[in-house]
Amino acid sequence: MIASEAPEPTGFARLAADVREILREQRESYELLLQMARRDLLLRYKQTAMGFGWAVSMPVMNMIIFSMIFTRVVRLDTDLPYPIFAYAGLLPWNFFASSLRFSAESLVKNTPLVTKVYFPREVLPFSAVLVSLVDFGVATTVLAGMMAWYGIGVGWSILFLPVVLLVQILFTAGIALLLAMGNLFYRDVRYLFEVVLTVWMFATSVVYPVERIGGWLGDLLLLNPMTPIIDAYRAVILRGELPAAGPFAAAAALSVVTLAVAWIAFHRAKFSFAENI
Amino acid sequence: MSQSHLVFDHVWKKFRRGERHDSLRDLIPAAVTWLMRGAPAADELAEQQFWALKDVTFEVRPGQALGIIGPNGAGKSTILKVLTKILKPTRGRCEVRGRVGALIELAAGFHGDLSGRENIFLQGAIMGMRHAEIARRFDEIVEFSGIAEFIDTPVKRYSSGMNARLGFAIAAHLDPDVLLIDEVLAVGDFAFQQKAFDRIREIVSRDIPVVVISHQLDRIASLCSQAILLDHGAIVHQGEPADCIAAYVSHHGAPSERTSGEGPLVIERITVGPASAVASGQRATLVLSGVAKEHDTPCSIVIRVRASQTGQVVFATTTARCGVELPASGRFELEVDLQMNVPEGIYFAETVVRDRKREVALGSGPTASIQVRGGPSFAGLVQMNSAMRVVRDAASPRVRVGKRDEAVC
Repeated sequence: MIASEAPEPTGFARLAADVREILREQRESYELLLQMARRDLLLRYKQTAMGFGWAVSMPVMNMIIFSMIFTRVVRLDTDLPYPIFAYAGLLPWNFFASSLRFSAESLVKNTPLVTKVYFPREVLPFSAVLVSLVDFGVATTVLAGMMAWYGIGVGWSILFLPVVLLVQILFTAGIALLLAMGNLFYRDVRYLFEVVLTVWMFATSVVYPVERIGGWLGDLLLLNPMTPIIDAYRAVILRGELPAAGPFAAAAALSVVTLAVAWIAFHRAKFSFAENI
Repeated sequence: MSQSHLVFDHVWKKFRRGERHDSLRDLIPAAVTWLMRGAPAADELAEQQFWALKDVTFEVRPGQALGIIGPNGAGKSTILKVLTKILKPTRGRCEVRGRVGALIELAAGFHGDLSGRENIFLQGAIMGMRHAEIARRFDEIVEFSGIAEFIDTPVKRYSSGMNARLGFAIAAHLDPDVLLIDEVLAVGDFAFQQKAFDRIREIVSRDIPVVVISHQLDRIASLCSQAILLDHGAIVHQGEPADCIAAYVSHHGAPSERTSGEGPLVIERITVGPASAVASGQRATLVLSGVAKEHDTPCSIVIRVRASQTGQVVFATTTARCGVELPASGRFELEVDLQMNVPEGIYFAETVVRDRKREVALGSGPTASIQVRGGPSFAGLVQMNSAMRVVRDAASPRVRVGKRDEAVC
């Protein structure tokens, strides 16, 4: 006997239904998200004696290394003192990279939960982003110290900082969903992505202004939304000006689209997670 | 809340057998082969799949409790996973209205490095409780779990029993609109099991739909109002719990395995009358039907009654002991009358054919189950029909005067 099937809504109707369900689930599970993030933070700070040092050490170490390279080995002219130029780039980059590293393994690491209990699975990659956001906040204190040292004050443009941060979070969350899902289906996505991350960092204005590359490669790199985002941090915090309107708006739009597409894809795939993990 | 209900409408669920390519490294060579040789044949694909659920349909309304029984791998847990939305049906429709409380994998969200206190909040959130709600019921949860003194100890230091107790305590305070229970009736020590069972009984009585999976058949019998028997993903029997259990036991020959006989005497069927459920102290009648072939082996039939909960044989007898001579050939029916002087529970009546001369078993016959419902209350294994009296003035050697208070309980 063949079962009668309820007609699956298609196209726009299905999309609307998915969006409604996503929103309802988020409303119901934001407390779970906070609990999960709290758990991961508690564990991090319980297990590592370094505690907050963990959050600071990576960008500081990188800043020191790149400062040595680009002030002693090769001179790189930047409008800002190089250490602060580098740190202001490494800080958001580190937030991006560590969010993605943690979220890539977030579903697989919680296999017993995914196969045994139902809750909106987005919670796991999102909590990874949230935890990295806390580290990001902690590491910001070093930036404030450096600004005091170099005598760089903040202007009214700092008011635009939440917008920059929001755009970065949206983009990061979108990629986080895709990676978590990809790594669930194919376990080596995580390792492959490590390679991508390294290339991506040098394709972004993290430790040097990427527009110096020029040529066709330079044109290609303009497609990378992380460069306008990181440049926007430098603009609003250090230079006291608004981010370059065109590139930043494009990056913002791309971030929203990335998150929307990733979320719908994740939502549609999540019912098969338990069978495939 | 009275709106809550649960519908399983012609649900089919397909699973893949065997391993899947779970890395890109394996996927790429596989894709190359696929391109070169073409897609694997359809029957090859079909071979790798199997149906875990085949056309399963049921509905549970508020106040009803559905028990699901069946052998391992029958699809019981798959049903619960579909109900909790962990799995999506391949075909058919599953509808659950209301907040789902699942007493399944009670400690799945626990993290060993966190304390009991921290885990209560985490696990509560995973089960869908609001933070404020957990905070309000926190003391109750700790009290119920009975591990108050260890609440700030990391869970990795807990014994597995403590772990399970804490998990159950959290789940038991969920106030669900729909309750799903999977094999968690055996949590902790005896006292805690009783407490947990009472709690479940209390939740079940709250006029919400409940689904219970258990191999403890007497728990199913005493909790549920209806039951389904599942085998290889399909419903084979649906109805009264006692009838389902009877069907299960006679099909699967639990607890002793069945060897259908080629011997001189074969028992083909066993039924329980007048109903498969009787009150404690009442009589149940087993009817065995079988066939004897021409033979000269002196045979007897052993009837063994086993308590399902403990697996203990509570009573055994044989036709020889009762002075019953079995026919040497042809069909026969044997009626066995048993007075069920035992406490509430499920009992299995097993049958064995024995060679009386050589004292060996020739084969075991089918098994029936008898459900005993609570009659006059007593504790222990058997009803001894105790009589008591108080004899006043017992010190006086000569006269035993007679005001006697007598009671039978």
